[in-house]
Amino acid sequence: MASIRKLPEELIGKIAAGEVVERPASVVKELLENALDAGAREIEIELVAGGAERIRIRDDGSGMSAGDAALVFDRHATSKISNFEDLLEVETLGFRGEALSSIGAVAHVEIQTSDDAGAGVVVRAAGGLVEPPEPRPRSRGTTVEVASLFFNVPARRKFLKTAPAELRRVVEVVQGYALARPDVRFSLRSERGTVLDALPAGNGLDGLKRRVAQLFGEELAAHLAEVDRSPRPGTSIWGFVGDPTTTRGRRYFVFVNRRLLRDRAMMSSFYRAVRETWHGSEFPALFLFLDLPAAEVDVNVHPQKAEVRFREPRVSSDLFLAIRRGLEISLGEVDAPLTAAADLAGAPLSWQGEGGRTKASLSGSVSAETGDGNLAAELHEEALPFSSSRLAEISYTPPQRTPVPLSGRSGAVRSLRVLGQYKGTVILLEGSDGLYLIDQHVAHERILYERFRADLDHDVPESQRLLEPVLLEISAAEALRLAEMAADLEGSGFEVTSMSGGTVALAAVPAALRPSQAEKLLLELAHGGGDGGGETGHLRERLLDALAASLACRAAVKMHEPLSADQMEAMVAELFASDQPYACPHGRPIVLKMTDRDLESRFGQR
Amino acid sequence: MEVRIKRADFLAELMPMQGIVERRTTIPVLSHILLQANSDRLQLASTDLDVSLTSWCEAEVKGEGGIAVQARKFLEIIRSLVGDEVQLVLEDERRLSIVAGKSRFKINGLAPEDFPTLPTVGEEEKVELPFTKLKKMIGKIIFAVSTEESRFQLNGALFKLKDGAVEIVATDGHRLALVENEIEGSRDNDGVLVPRKALQELQRFEDEGNITFCRGEHHLSFSLGKRELTCRMLEGTFPDYERVIAKDNDKRARFVRKELAEAIHRVSLLTGDRARAIKLRMSPNQLVVSAANPDLGEAVEELSSEYEGDEFHVGMNPDYLGHFLSALDTEKVELELKDENTQCIGHPVEGQDRRYLCVIMPMRI
Ligand SMILES: Nc1ncnc2c1ncn2[C@@H]1O[C@H](COP(=O)(O)OP(=O)(O)O)[C@@H](O)[C@H]1O
Ligand SMILES: [Mg+2]
Repeated sequence: MASIRKLPEELIGKIAAGEVVERPASVVKELLENALDAGAREIEIELVAGGAERIRIRDDGSGMSAGDAALVFDRHATSKISNFEDLLEVETLGFRGEALSSIGAVAHVEIQTSDDAGAGVVVRAAGGLVEPPEPRPRSRGTTVEVASLFFNVPARRKFLKTAPAELRRVVEVVQGYALARPDVRFSLRSERGTVLDALPAGNGLDGLKRRVAQLFGEELAAHLAEVDRSPRPGTSIWGFVGDPTTTRGRRYFVFVNRRLLRDRAMMSSFYRAVRETWHGSEFPALFLFLDLPAAEVDVNVHPQKAEVRFREPRVSSDLFLAIRRGLEISLGEVDAPLTAAADLAGAPLSWQGEGGRTKASLSGSVSAETGDGNLAAELHEEALPFSSSRLAEISYTPPQRTPVPLSGRSGAVRSLRVLGQYKGTVILLEGSDGLYLIDQHVAHERILYERFRADLDHDVPESQRLLEPVLLEISAAEALRLAEMAADLEGSGFEVTSMSGGTVALAAVPAALRPSQAEKLLLELAHGGGDGGGETGHLRERLLDALAASLACRAAVKMHEPLSADQMEAMVAELFASDQPYACPHGRPIVLKMTDRDLESRFGQR
Repeated sequence: MEVRIKRADFLAELMPMQGIVERRTTIPVLSHILLQANSDRLQLASTDLDVSLTSWCEAEVKGEGGIAVQARKFLEIIRSLVGDEVQLVLEDERRLSIVAGKSRFKINGLAPEDFPTLPTVGEEEKVELPFTKLKKMIGKIIFAVSTEESRFQLNGALFKLKDGAVEIVATDGHRLALVENEIEGSRDNDGVLVPRKALQELQRFEDEGNITFCRGEHHLSFSLGKRELTCRMLEGTFPDYERVIAKDNDKRARFVRKELAEAIHRVSLLTGDRARAIKLRMSPNQLVVSAANPDLGEAVEELSSEYEGDEFHVGMNPDYLGHFLSALDTEKVELELKDENTQCIGHPVEGQDRRYLCVIMPMRI
């Protein structure tokens, strides 16, 4: 075994850099934070090759004196905190004093800066070697230029994506800060021209709304409801939540004290509020600000500062209530059924929805446990003491007339008996442990979907040209994402060309989709499905999934269509032989079950 | 209310009411027809709140008043009765007795106050044209009206008045149909969007006379004899359609309409949801129509054409072409084409209309 030795300083720098600097977007993030901390009113960003060649950020903030400028590349050199108490009350975006030293370790960096008094100075660092400052006249403010990122860390450089892909990530970062500070002007240029230019839009809710319009278009801004709540003095929750037309974009931005976060706990308050208010699993746009005394949050949890801790435990329920109110407003009415449901006499029978559970798990990964068809086991999850239940005590095997073999993929055969059809819409089945209800349309849809999906793998989808191209207003980042996917989009029947700014024109769509479906799908793709948001790899699959789902929905038996007993049996058997019998391609439940326990409690036998 | 009416006259006015009445409505009164007797008439009205129809027939009125009756049942009853005359008497506010020959019915209804007030349409703009002409024009474009609800501004046709002409245009984003004819006394306007249902109801009318079209602030009306159909205008901007009518399609092919329509119909038997396109291969004096469907198989048909240009092919939805060909009333049809990505423009050869054309966007197959 090698003996222990102290690492050379240069290597320590590179290792530390790895924590802060991952790609051009993380450099831009750090430099933007510095500019904002310096009180800039106007920030200009210029990129070459998505930032891999060069990143230049110019601000009109406070600038630095020659003396301070000499220290910026020292690790843990910061003007923002000086003692442990300060750390507890961080009000600036940066405070670790690591960014510039880290960037200086892995790139060529040049900083020109001048404060009110100074005559201006330039400092340079390359691969961790810092040159002494030299005078250079400049007006107040700072320009940081980062060239040849990772020139001395080939392994990292290799992992950079194509220029458009890196640029897109930068745009996403800039959008985040631009939302956090609508009062500041942000502009971003690449070698191909202006990507984004947001003029100062003012403060407060109005300023934020204007900024949303600048970044994502007037259309989105017109579909937002205000969130505004101050649960305690010093704490306020404000911003906007979208109405149901805004679900396609996955535009969720949450800021704590103007710091953009992807905090899981906060997001789950949002998800919960949407599910409970809308009873759906699609989520609207969210631009939410939580402002509270600096002493009440701990942002020192994560090196990239994406998560926080709150000293006040009520914060998550405050968020939940604030968002829920906004959601109610966005629906145009306050949700009455919530209270009416408590009225037992008039309430419908409530039963356990198979599909309900599946739907929740679909948003993560299609859950293996619901996929393998062991119906009984799934349904009796953390079951209440079944021994006390009289109906269940009767061991009952359905009459043998037509046992439908429900093998599923697990192969375990159980028999259910078709009782009949309700209103030409729902198939009723009797099982030994309860009553099953199957929505015939979605069941058939699921069966056809799997068939069509398999076929599409070797067909070329037909494409229908449009009379007039549909113009879609999307953000610059989304336009770039679409550009990355061009080949796959074309292969599945889309023809997309980008116009000026964030507008794209849709000239042809897959013939299997109705125009509005095609538009919606494209916007979803543009914004990048999946919470990671990044990868375009499974694009073709996703496109084909969507085509198959649309075809299946159209071809499937409709509601109010009487089926013979044989037809119902065949359908149920085929359903349970499919890969995912419990949720349709759109995530709607297929099978509902009323357990004996439900029936008993309704009939008052308990 | 107490009236005597001629059963045949009454039935003639009653039948068109049924088209307006919502079949699956959640507002019960909308499945009703309003009957109202005053001076020498029995007036009828039905509405779905967007489209309404009023009419009347001559009656011997002994007592005025009104009631709303369930449309479908009432029509069935009147239709099944024997005898030339029907007597309608209001028993009380919500009960109507019907007597004809030896039959007597007493049916329940709703008070006339429960029936929605129908819009009165102003006369900001007013033109008159022969109804048969309008009806033919509607028939030539209605197939292109979009049925997709999310694109509400395409769920109707554009009626645009020009100096001395009227133009009607419909599109669903994949194809567009336009027809234009002379009328007297019209002046340029920016067009109004007439909902599909109103067009459909107009098509059912039979009348030799003139129809008067009025445009109010939010509503339109079409009056034809005793009948007046009113509807709410659709809001929204209609596409700039002149732009999509390509002017530089240099390949022109003529066909006998019936031959082309039949060939397309036969070949399209092998299209389906997953492969809906047919392929048109043009070569001098010949067209080959074909379809290939992974589920079903293949079909090919050749037919002769008047075509001189280069050989090329284009994919198309056969329904789009078929709808246009069956709306045409000429012996021959001309298709203007350019290449596989450019719209096909079809128009009649020596047609009656001042202008009639249908633009169809191709499919890639
Ligand atoms: N754009 C800028 N304008 C003014 N001062 C800056 C700017 N960028 C960096 N600085 C100074 O350099 C210091 C070090 O920056 P950095 O390494 O990012 O650490 P941190 O931001 O965590 O303090 C900051 O504390 C600040 O004093
Ligand atoms: Mg910093």
